[in-house]
Amino acid sequence: MLTVVLQQGINGIVVGSLYVLVALGLTLIYGVLVQINFAHADIVTVGAFVAYFVTHWLSGNYFAGIAAALAVGAVFGWLMNAAIFAPLRDRGNELLPLIATIGVSIMLQNAMLVLLGPIPYAFNTPYSNEVIRLGGTFLTVQNALIIIVSTITIVLLYAFMKFTFLGKALRAVSQDRETAGLMGINPNYVIMLTFVIASALAGMGGAMLGPVLVLTPFAGTSVIVKAFAIVIIGGFGNVEGTIIAGLIVGLIESYTTQFLDPGWIDIVVFALLLLTLAVRPTGLVAERREENV
Amino acid sequence: MSIVTSRRFWLVVAAIVIGLLPAIFTDSYWRTNLIVCAINVLLAIGLDFVLGYAGQLNLGQSAFYGIGAYASTLLITQVGVPFWVAFVAGVLLAGVAGVFLSVFAVRLRGHYLAIASLGFAVITYQVLLNWISLTQGPLGIYGIAPPPPFAIPGLPPIEFSNLASLFYLTAGFAFLVYLLLDQLVRSPVGETLTAIREDEVSAASLGVNGQKWKVFAFAVSSAVAGAGGCFYASFVGTLVPDAFFITESFSILAMVIVGGMGTLIGPVLGAILLTVLPELLRGIGDLRLIVYGVSVTLVVLFMPGGLVQAARLVAARVRRPAKVGRDP
Amino acid sequence: MTGAGEILLRAEGLRKSFGGVQAVRDISLDITGGTVFAVIGPNGAGKSTLLNLMSGIYQPDAGKLTFSGVDMIGMPSHRRVRHGLARTFQKIRLFKQLSVLENVLAGFHLHHQIPPWQYILHGAAFRRDRERCRDDAANLLAFVGLKPRAHVPAGSLSYGEQRMLEVARALATAPRLLMIDEPAAGLNAAEVEALLGRIVALRARGMTVVMVEHNMDLVMRIADRILVMDYGQHLFEGTPADVQAHPGVIAAYLGAEVR
Repeated sequence: MLTVVLQQGINGIVVGSLYVLVALGLTLIYGVLVQINFAHADIVTVGAFVAYFVTHWLSGNYFAGIAAALAVGAVFGWLMNAAIFAPLRDRGNELLPLIATIGVSIMLQNAMLVLLGPIPYAFNTPYSNEVIRLGGTFLTVQNALIIIVSTITIVLLYAFMKFTFLGKALRAVSQDRETAGLMGINPNYVIMLTFVIASALAGMGGAMLGPVLVLTPFAGTSVIVKAFAIVIIGGFGNVEGTIIAGLIVGLIESYTTQFLDPGWIDIVVFALLLLTLAVRPTGLVAERREENV
Repeated sequence: MSIVTSRRFWLVVAAIVIGLLPAIFTDSYWRTNLIVCAINVLLAIGLDFVLGYAGQLNLGQSAFYGIGAYASTLLITQVGVPFWVAFVAGVLLAGVAGVFLSVFAVRLRGHYLAIASLGFAVITYQVLLNWISLTQGPLGIYGIAPPPPFAIPGLPPIEFSNLASLFYLTAGFAFLVYLLLDQLVRSPVGETLTAIREDEVSAASLGVNGQKWKVFAFAVSSAVAGAGGCFYASFVGTLVPDAFFITESFSILAMVIVGGMGTLIGPVLGAILLTVLPELLRGIGDLRLIVYGVSVTLVVLFMPGGLVQAARLVAARVRRPAKVGRDP
Repeated sequence: MTGAGEILLRAEGLRKSFGGVQAVRDISLDITGGTVFAVIGPNGAGKSTLLNLMSGIYQPDAGKLTFSGVDMIGMPSHRRVRHGLARTFQKIRLFKQLSVLENVLAGFHLHHQIPPWQYILHGAAFRRDRERCRDDAANLLAFVGLKPRAHVPAGSLSYGEQRMLEVARALATAPRLLMIDEPAAGLNAAEVEALLGRIVALRARGMTVVMVEHNMDLVMRIADRILVMDYGQHLFEGTPADVQAHPGVIAAYLGAEVR
């Protein structure tokens, strides 16, 4: 029994750390723009497919697949900002960009459906079948890789935000765009950069989620709902909260699969979301944003 | 006010058109589409009330639609209550679900409600899929009877087993809901909801309880979707969870956006256009949702008022013809 | 009903801090009905925060606040409006897409005297209510000089007109105390004179006005009492003459502005 609990704990952390990668992108964008990119999870799906095809073309070079997914994600992020968010920024209606990205999401999903078909792709990397044993539990090399890569990425991102000039600029813009402008930071550049980073993370997350997910053009939908739940539970725009909430959701997913039924995952996550909203409307870690009246 | 611009004139025209449509389209294929149109109109104006007027994005319409459909059907088949009782119960249950959801989320800024409602749509779908003892899961419920004949004393009973009278029932109901919402938005209720949409802090400074009114708008929108679900079940005769996947929410959203949110006539036009157009262009079957996605994105970027805004621009151009080329 | 001359709004020991910065520390004040009460002080002195505490946008960390004897602590801003508190905003918050008239009509939210089913049926009572609101709105627009602009979008008004529309909209709630946050900001000299006349007219009707303002000339000419704030604290309170005679206040803020 203990072994099962431990084993599912490991699985939960594997998936959870990938959800953190995806949710961090959403929360970064929300932090600087107070906007939601609904197509964010479809960039995850795109990343997964790019990694799948590149890995296969290069006969099993999974790292090339990850790099390609990261690059394609970055390009998508730049496009999303240039085509949707930048033109709509000064319309003064906060729902318009959200609705436009829902349009983009429908478009991307169904374009992929036409191109790739509805049948799930079996994405096996060279590391999917190598197993490391730790006592009674085991871990595929693929999963170990996921934990290592996502931890490094999260630490690097955290360090970038805390210690580099660009990271500080990003935080300055998220706190007060006008003041940041006065400090000589070009907010448009910072926003563009945020989209590129966030979407590159999504693409990379997709490359690593691909082997774990049921890889279809609609894979993003199940991811986006959990990612949204994570950012709300963690507190929108809050990096630490997102990391904690992402791991919690990953653990919920693996334990629900083990002890209840996979069909219950979304229900349990959503119940937790409602509970969070009821108890702490600003998330586990409070949203630090004062309405300027 | 000239007769052409008066509201009553157009309402009468709309009623006459509804009356004539089944006479024009006599084959069952097009009559089926007419009913689908009427249900979509209902769903679209319901969403527009909360989105276009109160400024809150309800992505849970597919769930409320599904709740209305399953609740009324199960009440009829399992409990044996009469159709119209089940109808009222389905509408109320969808409305209550909307209230339940919005009570959690309205304390927060706009985006949270959109996400919470999306999450609600996903879990409702999962429940319909996984609660097999109640809903039969993916197998679905078959052989749902149409509404019972409607007896008016002194007249022969109206049967709903044929498509024409089923169309009159759904379109007539959609027309009634349109009238109801139109009266509401042209009353102080409309002023209040619009104030919340424009600036909630400012509205509160005028005594508006934003939370209460958002819950109200959400409840109305959900209940209307629930009514759509009841009609859907009795018209199709079959219920499967896939009919209430979140893509349905997005389709309804597309109808509202393309038609023009914040007006009631816009979503009506949008619903009709986006229902009929894919049928006319049969070849694009697979591309239907791509067309929805592209049109939503393009409309938001270039014509945020949708068809209604486009029509107004054209009307202004016609009334005041371009002066190009008049001067020598 | 509190008449003129009685204490209408009383604050005791109000405190509010944001992330460790104390925006308002230990402010107490009594505002007498039928007077103009001005709050002055340098930028960042906590004047707007004080107004936000009084109108209910923020809740204080500590302190008491009563309005005509009713405890206001914990009461959300929309409830306070029912008791007769109204306000305008420093950063103008009109419903920009709506017409000037519609902005004022929205202010009648609490004053429709028709049963809910009239909202659907639009009977005779509904039409009477609508006529009454339109007439009242027209009067309010005339009062602030915007009647000819009733049907243009609020967003297309000039800056000064927008400030006046906010006043008209706040007055539509039929307040007993009107809080105006920097009403003269961005107004030209003629507009300031008109504003002054309107505030005087309101006071003559028994309205209590609380005003946060930087225009010292306006404040000195119109205020009955002035509260001077600095770093969130109470620095001095008195009549305009007292304030002008107070050496510390003059040295700190008024030197250049009051001759």
